[in-house]
Amino acid sequence: MADEILQIRDLQIEFVSEGEVTKAVNGVDLTIAEGKTLGLVGETGAGKTTTALSVLNLVPKPQGKILSGEVILDGVNVLEQSEHEMEKIRGNTVSMIFQDPMSALNPVMSVGEQIAEVVKIHEKVDEKAAMERAREMLETVGIPGERAVEYPHQFSGGMKQRVLIAIALACSPKVLLADEPTTALDVTIQAQVLELMKELKRKFNMAMLMITHDFGIVAEVCDEVSVMYAGKIVEHGTLEDVFDHKCHPYTEGLFNSLPDIDNRKSELKPIKGQMPDPTNLPTGCPFHPRCDYCTERCSQEEPPKVQINDTHYVRCWLYENTKESQLKG
Amino acid sequence: MGDVLLEVKNLKKYFKTPRGMLHAVDDVSFTLERGKTLGIVGESGCGKSTTGRTILRLEEPTSGEVFFEGRDITKISKHEMRDLRKEMQLIFQDPFSSLDPRMTVSQAIEEPIKLAGLIKDKNERFRRVLHLMDTVGLAQRLVNTYPHELDGGRRQRIGIARALAMNPKFIVCDEPVSALDVSIQAQILNLMKEIQKEYGLTYIFITHDLSVVNHFSDDIAVMYLGRLIEKAPAERLFEKPMHPYTQALLSAIPVPRIHNRGERILIKGEITSPINPKPVCRFANRCEYCTEVCTSQEPQLIEVEPQHFVACHKVNAEMGQGQ
Amino acid sequence: MGSNTTTEVLTRNAILKQFKKKTPMQEIMIRFVRNRMAVVGIIIFAVILFCAIFADFICDYDTMVVKLNVAERLQGPSAAHWLGTDKSGRDVFARVIHGARTSLWIGFVATALSLLIGGILGAIAGFFGKWIDELIMRVMDVMLCLPEMLLAMAIVAAMGANVVNMILAIGISRVPRFARIVRSSVLTVRGMEYVEAARAIGARNGTIIARHVLLNCLGPIIVQVTLIFASAILAISSLSFLGLGIQPPAPEWGNMLSEARENMRDFPHLVLAPGMAIFLSIFSLNLLGDGLRDALDPKLKQ
Repeated sequence: MADEILQIRDLQIEFVSEGEVTKAVNGVDLTIAEGKTLGLVGETGAGKTTTALSVLNLVPKPQGKILSGEVILDGVNVLEQSEHEMEKIRGNTVSMIFQDPMSALNPVMSVGEQIAEVVKIHEKVDEKAAMERAREMLETVGIPGERAVEYPHQFSGGMKQRVLIAIALACSPKVLLADEPTTALDVTIQAQVLELMKELKRKFNMAMLMITHDFGIVAEVCDEVSVMYAGKIVEHGTLEDVFDHKCHPYTEGLFNSLPDIDNRKSELKPIKGQMPDPTNLPTGCPFHPRCDYCTERCSQEEPPKVQINDTHYVRCWLYENTKESQLKG
Repeated sequence: MGDVLLEVKNLKKYFKTPRGMLHAVDDVSFTLERGKTLGIVGESGCGKSTTGRTILRLEEPTSGEVFFEGRDITKISKHEMRDLRKEMQLIFQDPFSSLDPRMTVSQAIEEPIKLAGLIKDKNERFRRVLHLMDTVGLAQRLVNTYPHELDGGRRQRIGIARALAMNPKFIVCDEPVSALDVSIQAQILNLMKEIQKEYGLTYIFITHDLSVVNHFSDDIAVMYLGRLIEKAPAERLFEKPMHPYTQALLSAIPVPRIHNRGERILIKGEITSPINPKPVCRFANRCEYCTEVCTSQEPQLIEVEPQHFVACHKVNAEMGQGQ
Repeated sequence: MGSNTTTEVLTRNAILKQFKKKTPMQEIMIRFVRNRMAVVGIIIFAVILFCAIFADFICDYDTMVVKLNVAERLQGPSAAHWLGTDKSGRDVFARVIHGARTSLWIGFVATALSLLIGGILGAIAGFFGKWIDELIMRVMDVMLCLPEMLLAMAIVAAMGANVVNMILAIGISRVPRFARIVRSSVLTVRGMEYVEAARAIGARNGTIIARHVLLNCLGPIIVQVTLIFASAILAISSLSFLGLGIQPPAPEWGNMLSEARENMRDFPHLVLAPGMAIFLSIFSLNLLGDGLRDALDPKLKQ
């Protein structure tokens, strides 16, 4: 397909520290088409952020090692690029917004200067034009342009996240990586920021990788969703596939752990047990010790990718012979 | 009215800051029946945590009264308060900083029992520790484990066991699950419900997560900038929120479903400063229904329907016409 | 839930033993041993400490350390005198060994004294805050304005040069350093939620300070102890070098250096021996301190 802007194939990353090997990412495949948004959902330690950092070729070294795989961004495998070439790509073709807006801005530079800085790095423009652009970007994210001369401490949390979005979008990237961009914000502010992101995505026609743990946010802004567990994508599909025809027991467990807003008497059915220790992953399917459908085979052999339909796949032995959902609900 | 365990009357907590008085909790009143759960919701800086801590006298109230089983605990001595702590406990938000890193699981759970001098015999006390660990779902093999070796869910279980250790009647839960992953969050919520039934506990459940509070509470109180602006039984509040802020707050919840999603009310602007607030409606500058009276008078909390309290001029006016 | 119901049979100790694990102390040891420079430091220091404790068994004090023996004066190293003899014919090796005893125990007592005073002042200032904090810390600030050495010299000069006064001088001049480090650790720990948690379960101030605050401040304090111990040893030698500390013929590295000055050109071993002793003891303590800091710091504060 020609319109795939980001393609990750069989990515494997591990971290080594004090003699222990942490398997962070274990064979992730994902693709995002131009202008589409993919939600990457999972809990702490699932490897979501590491996957995103690999797109910027910023997996921390020397502890982090990319064992295999390729990350093709706009036709270029970023894992093979030199640091110098990566500098041209970061902030230009792809940029990232982080979870904590409080620590991501430099406190001694005005927000205008911080936006202009990105513009000057990637485009041959003078100081004045860059500042002009910074002001435009602030207006785009809903902050009056004249506030460009103010410093980060004069902005509230939600405003800072808007500034970070402005920085990320200053060079009209083709791909935006958003790592839990609203987790640190209050609900009403989160609603404002999500609304803004949806609008900007349409305007700039960017592709977006939205990392989150919240299916509510996925439902709101994403076109497709991948559910990640212990460094693997265990289920992937369109919103309809995953919300209405969920197949993987882990996906089911996540939905059952959420309180139903319309039925306050409904019982929560949590997933039993804890996240596996990433230095010592279970054999076979990594989810099998917590799974209600676990069979003998699950603990020994890793389940293959089973294609349910054109857009929907799942990694689970339940679907070896059937394409129908096997979950009890 | 049933058996009232806790009654809070005109509770105020102000903090002195270089820029003036910060009204963290401003004239909050409510009652809570035995065995029930009151959810307090609001966004950061609305004073919900300070309310909880002031009720437990971990912060001294600026003014107001807190009646626990009919006794005004703001008037009793520090010494008497220490005895009363057995009955009123707190579960903390952050299971990573609320446990002493140098205490093992069993030491941490034993500490409150030891301090209260409840059980003198060492072996007896240890049996109680094991029983508590069992109650909150901590495996016996973890007795000698240190908190930093455990995940957030297990740490929060230690916090709950510590709170339960002295057989309290009342527990303030300050965002007990917001630092946890979704699947673990559900485990802890279920555990807290179970022990509430088993021990007949009364909870104040402080959170910013509206879907959790709806699931967990009998009554819900909404706070905004130190003020209690709406309080109602949970289903009532979700069915028919009256205060414009509550309406916006409820509509802002990202609902995890893709069909029949409600219309969203976006409120403009952000929270204003709680320092030296003027005696007007504190939500007025963000409210789409704001009228002249909103910026000149402070609305009072009024029972507009049985058990449904709202502090809003617009709601009052409409109710007045209806009658 | 409900997995363990056989608890009735087992007693406390049996269960605690059954699930025995590495204590934090053992983990600190493991991390410490992994650090090569720290191990070098502790070996050197152990040798010095051994010499100090068993000085009397290694060389006799009366015959080798203080007795004048003009016939054998200013000899170079030999089998009889490993490091030669000084201008009064005393064995340099024996004097260095016995000097270690002097330096180490005076340094130890002085450090303990300043830790005790500084620790209590710092803990009070940090825990209670307000005016008492202001009062204590401003006094400490005033003391910090004076160079430690000058302060120590002034105290000894005013009260007379003897061992007790030297301990007081060195100990008191280092009180502000401990007070500051203890206060700042207490302030950090006091802000932690588990201190509030202890208050919520009804713990008294004393219990909170002892069990929760001070124990969690131990790391930085232990590190500071090694560094101040090193500075105390240096101060003892400096004072003695100036004639304000240990008086000859009693052996002390500083006064040995002072006595050796006139013969330094022809007999460099006379200054090298005590000089190296000072260098090695301070060097090893600093390595030890760095190693402890690295070993105590991580993980526990994750």
